[in-house]
Amino acid sequence: MADLQDDLRPTAAADFDEPAALFPDEGIVTAEFYEPVSDPDGAPMTRARAILAAHPVADGYNGLPWALKRLPWYDLEEGESTVDTDVPRLRSGHVGALFWSLRLPEGLDGDRAVGATLEQLDLAKTVVRSCEEGLRPACTAGQVADARNRGRVAVLLGPAGAPALGDSLGILRQLHLLGLRVLTLTGVSWAGDAGLTRFGEEVVREMNRLGVIADLSGASAPTVRRVLSLSRAPVLFSRSAARTLRPHPANLPDDLLAELGAAKGLCLVPLTAEQTGPTVRDVADHLDHIRAVAGAHCVGLSGTYDSGAAHPQELGDTSCYPRLIAELLRRGWDEADVALLTWNNVQRVLRGADFTARAAQQRREASTATISELDT
Amino acid sequence: MTTVTSLEAARELLSEFPVVDGHNDLPWALRSQVRYDLDARDIAADQSAHLHTDIPRLRAGGVGAQYWSVYVRTDSPDPVAATLEQIDCVRQLLARHPGDLHPALTAADMEAARGEGRIASLMGAEGGHSIANSLGTLRGLYGLGVRYMTLTHNDNVDWADSATDEPKAGGLTAFGREVVREMNRLGMLVDLSHVAATTMRDALDASSAPVIFSHSSARAVCDHPRNVPDDVLERLPANGGVAMVTFVPKFVLQAAVDWTAAADENMRAHGFHPLDTTAEAMKVHRAFEERRPRPLATVATVADHLDHMREAAGIDHVGIGGDYDGTAFTPEGLADVSGYPNLLAELLDRGWSKADLAKLTWKNAVRVLDAAQDVARGLQATRPPSNATIESLDAPAG
Repeated sequence: MADLQDDLRPTAAADFDEPAALFPDEGIVTAEFYEPVSDPDGAPMTRARAILAAHPVADGYNGLPWALKRLPWYDLEEGESTVDTDVPRLRSGHVGALFWSLRLPEGLDGDRAVGATLEQLDLAKTVVRSCEEGLRPACTAGQVADARNRGRVAVLLGPAGAPALGDSLGILRQLHLLGLRVLTLTGVSWAGDAGLTRFGEEVVREMNRLGVIADLSGASAPTVRRVLSLSRAPVLFSRSAARTLRPHPANLPDDLLAELGAAKGLCLVPLTAEQTGPTVRDVADHLDHIRAVAGAHCVGLSGTYDSGAAHPQELGDTSCYPRLIAELLRRGWDEADVALLTWNNVQRVLRGADFTARAAQQRREASTATISELDT
Repeated sequence: MTTVTSLEAARELLSEFPVVDGHNDLPWALRSQVRYDLDARDIAADQSAHLHTDIPRLRAGGVGAQYWSVYVRTDSPDPVAATLEQIDCVRQLLARHPGDLHPALTAADMEAARGEGRIASLMGAEGGHSIANSLGTLRGLYGLGVRYMTLTHNDNVDWADSATDEPKAGGLTAFGREVVREMNRLGMLVDLSHVAATTMRDALDASSAPVIFSHSSARAVCDHPRNVPDDVLERLPANGGVAMVTFVPKFVLQAAVDWTAAADENMRAHGFHPLDTTAEAMKVHRAFEERRPRPLATVATVADHLDHMREAAGIDHVGIGGDYDGTAFTPEGLADVSGYPNLLAELLDRGWSKADLAKLTWKNAVRVLDAAQDVARGLQATRPPSNATIESLDAPAG
């Protein structure tokens, strides 16, 4: 990720080598334009692998760097059985992109949260560098596609918790320069039960200007609704399933799912027994439901591997995605919707964030607002 | 007194080999005066009523490269966060003034800026408190463009003694040596201004790359702990480093050292931190000054230091670090960043050659960054980032 340092140079910051990314909805591939890659009469598992080979999984939440921290030594390319994620299993699971969550130890705030976030970003980069044959750092949709073209798994940094910002837009900008791409809007005074404060709204606007995607998993309903209406870029829920099927505070009720669908956001369903239930079929039920309520363009996957969560049976590590996709095919999902679920929806959100940032940077300078000036 | 011709000659020299200044606290001044409201202090216009530094005066002073200090106070409750905000300030300045300020991370960037007639802008962190005892945070600062770190400011850190605090570690601790090694591996210059002489010696022992003193003068000329003792200056040729003379009167002129001790006492008596430069604090300062006139340092005072540093360290190991906007007072003739030509004229009159002056202003400082990054490339090929923690290396004995 040494190339991030080039961001200091204005010449490198203006990046027009991806004209296709100028249209935020361009990533939406509708069924009528979709070209099938599998034999519709094939066995579900065979079809699942064929589809995933063309449309791999962009996994919205993975905690590998933190899990590796307790190991004295690791080799991700060879395989590392003490964790859920390594290159051989990412390949057999057809994972094409991973979001690495930056986990702050419980209760950290203020300067310790900022410092711990810098350490997490550093740790993530060290892990990527240790595995250059398998992993490739990425910030933009174009870089994700580039990693895939090179046969590498793209690694994006985030979500991080909002306390990482130290209540400062200047710090948000520096974390973005260090590669942070997703920020979860919980755990701070400016995004609480009552919704966003004025400073919170300014944070969202500055995230739009930078291209940092808002993650609303765990946020209060007023915060969710305000961000959905305020954000010019698509938002996501990094770990939320359907509350109708399973009552969990981070799962989404149908009204919010419908609003998310209207706003073309993205609900990434976690593969955890706690949020989705103990079987592959339970997970598929959530995906069915969210697809029905929010739409096929608004649902994706978060493996949540190496984060300490218990997973449904048969979905124990990053190699297991074909089993889940086979189940969806058995339920009659067409290929186009599977491709949206695994890859295209995440790419669309990334492109949308890139596009919004580029447009906003033409229009306005960095915000100098402070929390003390807006929230007192 | 310098002659008109030597001043003209100085300006001509600077047009070819401008000043690389090792330390300027403009970001701190912008933070403390206007909380980064860059419209309220537009450095494209004359800011002499508020600041030592603005672009017109940098141009008049022949400055071609500036290490902007991203200093935060040692008693800051959030030193890491505040340092990131200081870095953001420098970036906002760069974004606002692309025609005058050129972002620079390497010696090649500095040369490119010189070629384009822009001011290469680098960043230095002033004090190990900015990394909160974390090598991961140190690497984060490097990733954000910080190219030197002063190991301490006025107070000790857990792993290094400051020149102006009670000795505790006796120099660098084991973790302190690891910080130096990791800075070497990254290509971040080790800055030994502000540190105790014991720390200077330990760092020279530990460092495999050239070091700098971003703003320090010679202790043999003025016996102040912020200055560099001769035995350390004499080690610079072997190390390859550069000592950048500072202009701060209370470090370079003995009478000013004494006066400052009394003035600081007066500030404390009025409930102000001695380094406070807010309007109220400066009022107290001025009242004191009316009662007891402040001894004036001059261009000659600074030149005396350079003559000695050149003698002790050699012409390849001297540079300039004015500490503008980081000091309440400045010498006569060096009142602000437009004053460097006066210093060069004085040195010309003292017999410094044009080649000597090109080393002093530009070449030495560019060389030292280049050399440090060269060392880093070698080290990165042989060792991974350090995972060491202060707990693992500096655990109390027993």
